[in-house]
Amino acid sequence: MRKYWAGLAVVVATMAGCGLGGPDSATGPGAAAPVASAGGQVKGKVSLQTWALKPKFTEYVQGVIDGFEKKYPGTEVAWLDQPAEGYSDKVLTQAAGGTLPDVVNLPPDFAVPLIRQGLLLDVAQADPALATEYVPGALAAYAYPGVQGTFGYPWYLNTDVNYWNTELLTKHGLDPEKPPATLDELITQARTMKERSGGKVYLMSRRPELGDLTNAGVPIMSPDGARFTFNTPEAVALLDRYRDAFKEGLLPRDVLTDTYAGNAKLFNEGTVAWTTGGGNYITSLATDNPTLAPKVVPSPAMGTPPLYVQGLSIPKQTKNAPAALALARWVTSAENQAAFAHLVNIFPSTKSSANDPFFSKSDGTSSGDAKVIAFESLARAKVLEPVQVTEAMKKLVRQQFALAISGDVTSKEALDAAVAKCDELLKN
Amino acid sequence: MLAITVSPFLWQLSTSLKSLQEDIYTGTPGLLPSRPTLSNYAEVAETIPVWSYAVNSLIVAAIVVAGNAAGATAAGFALAKLRFRGAKLLLGLFLATLVLPGEVTIVSQYVTVRSLGLADTLLGVALPGAIGMLNVLLMRTAFQAIPPEMDEAAIIDGATTWQRLRHIGLPNVRGMLSVVTIFAFIGAWDDFLWPLIVLTDPDNYTLTVGLQYLNGTFSANPRLIAAGTMISFLPIVIVFAALQRFFFKGVEEGAIKG
Amino acid sequence: MRHHRWFTPWVLVAPAAVWLFMFSVWPSINTVVLAFTDAKPLGGGHFTGLANFRRVLDDDQLVDALVNSIVFMLVCLPLLTVLPLLIAILVEKKLPGITFFRTAFYTPVVASAVVVALIWGWLLDDRGLVNGFAQWLGWVSGPVPFLTDRWLLLFSAISLTVWKGLGYYMIIYLSALGNVRRELHEAAAVDGAGPVRRFLSVTVPGVRNTMLLVSVLVSVSALRVFSELYVLSNGTGGPGGRDMSLVMLIQLYSRGFTGHLGYASALSLVLLAVTIGPMLALLRLNRKAA
Repeated sequence: MRKYWAGLAVVVATMAGCGLGGPDSATGPGAAAPVASAGGQVKGKVSLQTWALKPKFTEYVQGVIDGFEKKYPGTEVAWLDQPAEGYSDKVLTQAAGGTLPDVVNLPPDFAVPLIRQGLLLDVAQADPALATEYVPGALAAYAYPGVQGTFGYPWYLNTDVNYWNTELLTKHGLDPEKPPATLDELITQARTMKERSGGKVYLMSRRPELGDLTNAGVPIMSPDGARFTFNTPEAVALLDRYRDAFKEGLLPRDVLTDTYAGNAKLFNEGTVAWTTGGGNYITSLATDNPTLAPKVVPSPAMGTPPLYVQGLSIPKQTKNAPAALALARWVTSAENQAAFAHLVNIFPSTKSSANDPFFSKSDGTSSGDAKVIAFESLARAKVLEPVQVTEAMKKLVRQQFALAISGDVTSKEALDAAVAKCDELLKN
Repeated sequence: MLAITVSPFLWQLSTSLKSLQEDIYTGTPGLLPSRPTLSNYAEVAETIPVWSYAVNSLIVAAIVVAGNAAGATAAGFALAKLRFRGAKLLLGLFLATLVLPGEVTIVSQYVTVRSLGLADTLLGVALPGAIGMLNVLLMRTAFQAIPPEMDEAAIIDGATTWQRLRHIGLPNVRGMLSVVTIFAFIGAWDDFLWPLIVLTDPDNYTLTVGLQYLNGTFSANPRLIAAGTMISFLPIVIVFAALQRFFFKGVEEGAIKG
Repeated sequence: MRHHRWFTPWVLVAPAAVWLFMFSVWPSINTVVLAFTDAKPLGGGHFTGLANFRRVLDDDQLVDALVNSIVFMLVCLPLLTVLPLLIAILVEKKLPGITFFRTAFYTPVVASAVVVALIWGWLLDDRGLVNGFAQWLGWVSGPVPFLTDRWLLLFSAISLTVWKGLGYYMIIYLSALGNVRRELHEAAAVDGAGPVRRFLSVTVPGVRNTMLLVSVLVSVSALRVFSELYVLSNGTGGPGGRDMSLVMLIQLYSRGFTGHLGYASALSLVLLAVTIGPMLALLRLNRKAA
């Protein structure tokens, strides 16, 4: 799963700029096509766009599509799979140019701006059964405060799990059976590790983000979503703890400029003994660093685990709404999602999957344990950052937090500056 | 110095040759694969249609190279050697494009290409880069370096503009022309974001876009990505090796030819 | 006195001029218009007068970005105007194995940003080669924060730029050196001029136009530096974003679904304003020298 979210960082990393509303981009809520309903006949051509599933899941997706065409004779599905990198730019130009496919895989942070522009179909209105079949947390990710409706069929879910390098823990006097479960324990054990390894190996390598503030009980935004409020004394206290830990040498200096994927890189190198990742992390680690993978054990995330959602949305402009709705529903159906989850450690968004023993029983491997931990975490998982938080805001927050941790400004100053910048972006 | 220069490629090459049993991201990366294998290359070729993507890339690159070789040479010659009204203004505009901010313009370019009916075509991918403003300036500089006396002699002999370009201009700018060709080729070959935006049908994808399929959602094998990078790097090496003779030849022969 | 029909030059420049207007001038006019609006990639676009420019004046990150860009230019301009010329002269010699060296200098130009970032990360981070070497020699007691200190990060990015630029500008110089007439060199050698003398009195005047072009290109691209700072700071622009360049700032605001295109366009105009200055200065310098 990490790959997926790291993909966002890659998107930002591409060189060329983007934007400039051309004549086509002024498709406001008023300009939308008449709302289609699910009532029509399901037939004809319909297009489906997925994100980076080829070639590994070509067979699976093709199987799902074949099943759909068989169930609804007379339909013809055109499947487009887009590469991981540049997906946000691709979707953006498709939206601006009015060329979005009939069914599009959009993570919530891509969907929200399209919802605000009134470009997506309210699937809850078109399909009343939605609320009874999918888990509420996932549905909530496809709503926007102040806009009536749900704008996507939730697809697969994931969360973060802690991963520990047992070899490094044991070597430096820590017990892999008792990994830290709170920030206090983490800092204590990090100190042990620093002292035993002579500062060569670290336990902590993550800078706090907005989600950590949510976990510390800090309200990120005012209840009406009109302004940011995370410059509270609790937030100051949290940043101060990280600043002191950094000063003590418990975190590598890389945290000041690292992205979300940064600690995974240090973990892969064996410089750091702890990282967080999705339920499938060990599987991907087995490809990258095969000798490291067997030494890794999972444990539940500290605090409330984050909820990551993927979903399928339908643009209002679709020419074949009945088939699009049927296809989105088919792809996200409990059985098709369950089949997907058997191929890779992701989790279905359908309520009926909760009782599937496959997810609650480990096969005894670390990867199987991670799957079970992730599945159990999902029951408690929440989206930790408000949907209003954009990429630009995240980056500005990251910069200010790094400045606070480096000790160049006080935590209060950094938080005030971050709130001011986020407010400015929210307003304009 | 040289070691740093080539190290990215050695590392990439070594990664692409590593077998699945070998770690890639370690603190002290081993440069030599312990059990070198070519299977990563085979797997790349199996996973994605490398050949047809490469052909698409070649088509785009060929259009861009041809466009630049012809368009930039013609314009560069006119700006350097012919006197006409508005030449100064035009030159100023070409120079200005170097400082004009292009960061915010990609969507408007897409709208232009789409309104020409070229969305999802290789021609649409090639079009914006088919005459590079920088290349016009490079060619102008090259033509300017030809001593005016040679032109005057030709004019006295009654040479037409075409003959001057053909017999005096071109032979003396071969070096710069090959530079322009290389830059244009590399630019077109390596471009990622623009072809991704213009193209819809995966059959039309260029190699850089298509290779991204190796970087899948739940599956990114760095060995395959490295192998893909080496494959896409090869044509650049070939073009460079083929053309570098030209500008070094110019250097070795030394004198301006009349 | 003209020796061609009036339309001949126009026929020759027409294609390039069409491209110029379609793909450069027109989008730029758009940018200027956008700077006075609150445009977003989707929707927006209402006229907001000078609001964006007032925001520009209040933006404390812009000051850092301007300082960074100017330092970048001041260091890169002399280095990248002169060093590639010297290397070009070096590799134009016909020596065994020279092709390898020529190609080697060119490889960084075509290296992907990701790979470059990896390599330079290994070189410069706390556990990297440079720090390891310096500590082994006993020059420093702890690792030098090449990638996290405001100024060290900037100079690391400058080194990376120079490293990448050497090959690129070397090629441009090589093609120009071909036009320097050998007789002049020989004549100067007969007159007893040493290599330095010959370089200054024969080579430099011979490639003067190219040097001018290169210096313009170097200063423009230094002011517009993006990827070097971006990759070395993992896209974060350093603690507090103090190592962001102007283009990084423009990217930060313009990218993605919620991009603030209006504000980014206003920042682009600031960039335009600071780039025009050095360009005009270089052109004037050239006219004086001519």
